Amino acid sequence: MATLLEVKDLKTEFRTQDGVVHAVNGVSFTVDEGETLGLVGESGCGKSVSVLSVMRLIPHPPGKITNGQVLFQGRDLLQVDDEEIRSVRGNKIAMVFQDPMTSLNPVLTIGTQIGEALELHLGMTKEQARKRSVELLKMVGIPEAEGRLDDYPHQFSGGMRQRVMIAMALSCSPQLLIADEPTTALDVTIQAQIVDIVKRLKTELGMAIIWITHDLGVIAGLADRINVMYAGFVIETAPVKEIFGNPLHPYTLGLLTSIPRLDAAMKSKLTPIEGLPPDLIEMPKGCPFYNRCTFRTDQCANENPALELGAVRHSVACWNWQDVLKKRAAYLSGRA
Amino acid sequence: MSQAMSALEPPLGWASRERSSQEQLARRIVSNLPALLGAAVIVWMVILAIFAPIIATYPYDQTNLNAVEQPPSLAHWFGTDALGRDMFSRVVWGARSAVFVIVMVTVIDLGLGLQLGAAAGYLGGWVDTLVMRVADILFAFPGLLFVFFIAATIKPGLLAWARTHGLDDLARSGYLDYAVVIIALGVIGWAGLARLVRAQVLTVKEREFVISARATGVPTWRIILRHVLPNSIAPVIVALSMGMGDIALSEGYLSFLGIGLQPPAPSWGNILADNAGQYWRTFPQMIWLVLIPGLVLASVVFAFNFLGDGLNEALNPEISP
Repeated sequence: MATLLEVKDLKTEFRTQDGVVHAVNGVSFTVDEGETLGLVGESGCGKSVSVLSVMRLIPHPPGKITNGQVLFQGRDLLQVDDEEIRSVRGNKIAMVFQDPMTSLNPVLTIGTQIGEALELHLGMTKEQARKRSVELLKMVGIPEAEGRLDDYPHQFSGGMRQRVMIAMALSCSPQLLIADEPTTALDVTIQAQIVDIVKRLKTELGMAIIWITHDLGVIAGLADRINVMYAGFVIETAPVKEIFGNPLHPYTLGLLTSIPRLDAAMKSKLTPIEGLPPDLIEMPKGCPFYNRCTFRTDQCANENPALELGAVRHSVACWNWQDVLKKRAAYLSGRA
Repeated sequence: MSQAMSALEPPLGWASRERSSQEQLARRIVSNLPALLGAAVIVWMVILAIFAPIIATYPYDQTNLNAVEQPPSLAHWFGTDALGRDMFSRVVWGARSAVFVIVMVTVIDLGLGLQLGAAAGYLGGWVDTLVMRVADILFAFPGLLFVFFIAATIKPGLLAWARTHGLDDLARSGYLDYAVVIIALGVIGWAGLARLVRAQVLTVKEREFVISARATGVPTWRIILRHVLPNSIAPVIVALSMGMGDIALSEGYLSFLGIGLQPPAPSWGNILADNAGQYWRTFPQMIWLVLIPGLVLASVVFAFNFLGDGLNEALNPEISP
């Protein structure tokens, strides 16, 4: 399939009073048309900053994209002028944010807010936008769509608001939907509904999705491919089955052993990853995962491994991935 | 969506249509007695101002040397002054002066303060620095003194300008005094508002719906107008309401000290000055000539402050007891 988005060696940093925070440190990834890419990692690993950089929504100052290219349909979004990036935002690339309670403007009706993108990008009149908004609300499963157009956000529940956000994001039929932890603030039953809606709309509309999450359970059923991020680096990228069945990076392995499984022995304990991620102001010289890694060697302390091919369509940034492969079974059974 | 899922969905029409926020606001104001009183006084003042020619029983500048220094009576409700002018009529016309000055100064403050404050807060950078430093300079002087200074400085210039442009009538009419008062109060009044708006905008612009609007490709000016300002406006309304009381008082000060509206133009401040200057030796004779305009001015200032407090509580329900 054709490549829709190609991010090359993206670096984003924030200049703060304490020093320069290296939030994203040379991230490269691609998204094909119609593909769903999962961005996984713990808080502060640069998932959100990466996609906000793609949209050029990094607050500046203090944030700054210092390096890289973001090729969307062949055009470098980091080079185009403000006018042009605005015509991409919400139109070709749309975004859904984490907290539906705060992502809607409390003083405007949801009809007005959905209509905003339609009037802006598709040049619709108020009437046309209203009609289309009703269709969109129906599409995301909001009952009584016509009657709810003139309601304000506070009259909706959290799950309903996230549906409104999705309707807004999909209003201009974007080629790429970026979902920044869209289910994190919702309870589990509502999470499942939102995931279902997105899955259905993905097949109906044929758009690509970048889904950011720290919940591996949510992403397993949704993504085609997963990028695991750590300390501003992509440390492993593979098709979703590979990540779960054949993890090659010690961090990915750690992530998988720290979530509960239905098929695990009854008394088995979860294994947390010991320690904390490195300080992003003073980045270590070697591998950022060095301090927490059970497979570390001297080389890891001094040289940061680049992403290299470990298996078919499966890249990993680890000097010792072959070692991981050998000892993985013992490591996994060690949990029991 | 699967059958089981839709069963989880709330039944149709589940959302009780909540009262709109305007209705809530009105209800909170009405249930607040001082605010309601304040609003009533202000409404009265505006009615007096609009219908002054009808309500006033005499022209405000008509002297009657046969009826000087009259105590309050049926013919002259508030009595008459040393020149036999009807005090009731002068106080009524004074409301018109006060309202005119309040409205004009507020328009200037709002226009400058809202735009400059929003620009400074949202755009940041050198715009922010420039606007806020100018505001700081204005704040560095004692407010009222600065107003006196400006009023006293621009008045001769304004008069000279009118004369050189063949507007002698205008120069003599006293209308330029209004311009002097309005400009002097407007020039410094915006700074406080700009600071307030900027602070509000700084917090609102970080909120997720603003980032969401940017991610939708909404142009900057539209984000400021539709997403940022409406969510920043509540404290601004409160500040404006309180500020109107200050403007009424400042106009009173200026006219009292003779830099503002000049007699025979009716202003509560210069009525006070006239009568206080005339009768302070014979205190407490003719006390009503000072007491009535003073009470009127004070009640208007109180009214705006009560209304401002009421609005503050109504717009920020968290702080009310």
